[in-house]
Amino acid sequence: MTVARTTVGASASSLAPLQSFLSDVWTAEHLPESDRFPFELALEEVFMNVVMHGSEGRTDVWTDVTLEHAADSVQMTIRDNGNPFDPLTLAPPDIGAAMQDRPVGGLGVHLIRTLMDEVTYRLEDGCNVLVMRKRLRID
Amino acid sequence: MNLTQETQNQTTTLHAQGRLDFEAAGHFQQELEKSVASAATDGNALLIDCGSLEYVSSAGLRVFLVAARAAKAANVPFAVYALTPAVKEVFDVSGFARIIDVLGDRAGALEKVGRHA
Repeated sequence: MTVARTTVGASASSLAPLQSFLSDVWTAEHLPESDRFPFELALEEVFMNVVMHGSEGRTDVWTDVTLEHAADSVQMTIRDNGNPFDPLTLAPPDIGAAMQDRPVGGLGVHLIRTLMDEVTYRLEDGCNVLVMRKRLRID
Repeated sequence: MNLTQETQNQTTTLHAQGRLDFEAAGHFQQELEKSVASAATDGNALLIDCGSLEYVSSAGLRVFLVAARAAKAANVPFAVYALTPAVKEVFDVSGFARIIDVLGDRAGALEKVGRHA
């Protein structure tokens, strides 16, 4: 098991460094390219939610990302001290709705739940902790 | 991300290249809105070539929806084509593949919007 971790301030300018972190870990661990996308996507969706909704009226919010590579899976834990919010309580969007009725937001969490094998949320010491895990594809 | 636009045979094509994430979405939306407006003025169809689009998040997806609505309102035939596997997965999972015309290749897209290659 290998563990890598980084912490950034919750502002949009931290998105690029976070994606670089993910990309560097992926390369260092020789993880399959085809498995990277769900993690990149989940990282952006969760982090931007913290930036846009979790940090309202605050400048002290941070986000901490941990990647753990086990034999057959990768686990990503995103922890933040933003406003407490369980994204898994959001109702799934109506993906069958017609174009004019589709809300323009609310898709991020749905994408994460669909693309990851396991997503759990807990509130720990006042921090949001979202744990996402996906088995690696066997080539 | 990079965008290049070309127009021929009453068809405007935007070639999207790179990563369409939160940071890129604002620029993409501005460019797409301009393209919808000019296609409407010129009576052109609008296609987005996604063959080199490596990544899209919900922020990017949202722009496709906004553009598809604007195109529909302006009577501009609109389709996207040549999605990479990751982008295709996002379109499928979000249900967007059902509300936006998604074609496998350029020939299919041209046929969909009523243009000939």
